Amino acid sequence: MNTRRELLKIGFAPMIVPSRVLGQRAGAVAPSDKILFGGIGIGARGQHVLSKILKIEAAKFIAVCDVRNERRETIKSMVDQAYGDRDCKMYDDQFELLARTDLDAVLIATGDRWHTPLSILAAQHGKDVYCEKPCSMSIEESWALAAAFQRYGRLYQAGCQRRNGANFQLCKDLLRSGALGKLKALYANVGPAVNWPPIPSRDWLAEEELPPKQVVDWDRWLGPAPWRPYHSSYVRGGWRNFYDFHGGGILEWGSHTVDLCHWAAGLDDTQPVRYEPEGSNAGPYFVHCEYENGVKLVMRDNGWDGALKTGSCSFRIEGDLGWVETGDQTRIECSDNIKPLLRPTEPASLALENHVKEFVRCVATRQQPSAHAAAAANSHVTCHAAFIAFQRGKTLYWDVKKRAFTNDDVANNMRSRALREPWRI
Amino acid sequence: MQQSVQTAQIPAPQSAKPKPEPPKAPPQFTEGSIANLDVTGLVAILKDPNASEFQKAKACMRAGELADKQAVPALAALLPHPRLSTYARYGLEPVADESASQALRMALSKVQGELLIGVINSIGKRRDSKALPALTKLLYSADANLAQAAASAIGKIGGEMAVKELRVALGKTKGQLQLAIGDAALVCAEQFLAAGKRKEALAIYAWLSAPDVPKSVRLAAMHGVIREETSPGRPR
Repeated sequence: MNTRRELLKIGFAPMIVPSRVLGQRAGAVAPSDKILFGGIGIGARGQHVLSKILKIEAAKFIAVCDVRNERRETIKSMVDQAYGDRDCKMYDDQFELLARTDLDAVLIATGDRWHTPLSILAAQHGKDVYCEKPCSMSIEESWALAAAFQRYGRLYQAGCQRRNGANFQLCKDLLRSGALGKLKALYANVGPAVNWPPIPSRDWLAEEELPPKQVVDWDRWLGPAPWRPYHSSYVRGGWRNFYDFHGGGILEWGSHTVDLCHWAAGLDDTQPVRYEPEGSNAGPYFVHCEYENGVKLVMRDNGWDGALKTGSCSFRIEGDLGWVETGDQTRIECSDNIKPLLRPTEPASLALENHVKEFVRCVATRQQPSAHAAAAANSHVTCHAAFIAFQRGKTLYWDVKKRAFTNDDVANNMRSRALREPWRI
Repeated sequence: MQQSVQTAQIPAPQSAKPKPEPPKAPPQFTEGSIANLDVTGLVAILKDPNASEFQKAKACMRAGELADKQAVPALAALLPHPRLSTYARYGLEPVADESASQALRMALSKVQGELLIGVINSIGKRRDSKALPALTKLLYSADANLAQAAASAIGKIGGEMAVKELRVALGKTKGQLQLAIGDAALVCAEQFLAAGKRKEALAIYAWLSAPDVPKSVRLAAMHGVIREETSPGRPR
């Protein structure tokens, strides 16, 4: 006999029976119907996402895996305190967590280098995945990610939470309603160069004495990234801005803002065909892109607050009848003719909670989440291609069907990275 | 109203919040001019017994960007190096020339353990069908991790011979290895679909739907059948 979970896994939506028919408290979710979560690599950002999962009655977080004992204990304590029990199990091996047949979904919030390999492993083990951004380290990883989730029929939600932010949605609605006219250009703020230059360093930090394995398992921490000597700064979060661990400022924020542009403009299934870099690694910098249909995408370094002080991760849409721009400050700036169409929206800060709720709802109903794997692949490929153009210092042309640059062999050689043994995608 | 799409009309960037100064790389770990060397200069570093691990690592990465076959012998010599093997594969993987495939195949008998898994992974990535006989032997290795890597590489190579070997192996294995073999077979099915060989793909999905196949693979195969049978492109 098929269980509820088995039926869910091959795409059958559950039959909806009012809970009162089953004698349950109205609104309560039976323990057997809860979406069961595990988490891998839950640091500061992961805890923020986890705090939203813990609020959802239809979900329960029951397992955590981390290479650092201190972090495992922190998460277990946080989870057990929230539920008032001792049920959260701890693992230091991701395969043991993934082998649990009772888990429906996995939250992945490791460093970027792990995102794609772990997400694919989770899909192979039949799990749905909520993964923090950036979702991939290369063009090759982006495609592999989308292919794996299609192959296994698993659901994937990239941590691009602004897709569920009301101010961002209103901007999208204004474009889709025709109020902005014909789409001309999209603007995606990218990571400020002062914090995340477009081209990260390929240097190594000086070697420090390796700590005991139970404190930091350096081999496991490096994971798929090439070997380098240990330095405590990497482990404390200083891994960003090093090429082996980080895709640079374009990917750091572009994975949010290029993603927003694609989502708003209905470009989730494509990438620009032209990438023209401008500016220096010290900033400000731009990458001017163009899609096959002539729409422009400008990735721009506008500092933390955006060109119009609409906040971090801002984006802008320009049509031939008007324009809108918004960011994490919630406020929407627009052309005068659009102002009568604006309405108050809930704060952008609620986007994450909405995004996590959407994922849990989708796991239960087998609907595709808004930031699904194919959409993430297309927006990440766009960022990686822009990153490569910036490194090459020249305009690159991209063949969407062939998934290759047409005017630069070296750029094509930069589409993938070798993964450290034994990891693969 | 602003209608132009020129960046010149976008307000100037605002100043960003500076971060505390991160630690600096020491001179011996600074990439410097290696980033701009041609293949001759890179090979010189790779062969130099006095060059540091750092210099060789950066030379390998740069060699991967250039993907010039001249660097293949020097890169291949680093495949057994415990710290530089990944970097050597970084250099070899993008080289289109057959010499890179040959170097990786030869390394199958020269390296062991995780380094061998790395070599197998690179062979799979390059879809080197000449490696199929060697990979098939490794599919039955006593080292389960090695066998899983071989299965994955065989899947990426694809084709009728690969499918035949995977199907035989599926019935003789269990656990994580069976999962890896099933995954590899699913990849083969997708390659058949991409090549317009729908019948061959559906045949794979059919044998992967058997009850003794790991559940996630079985469900993926059923998902594949449903996806194909409901596809607008399905022959009618």
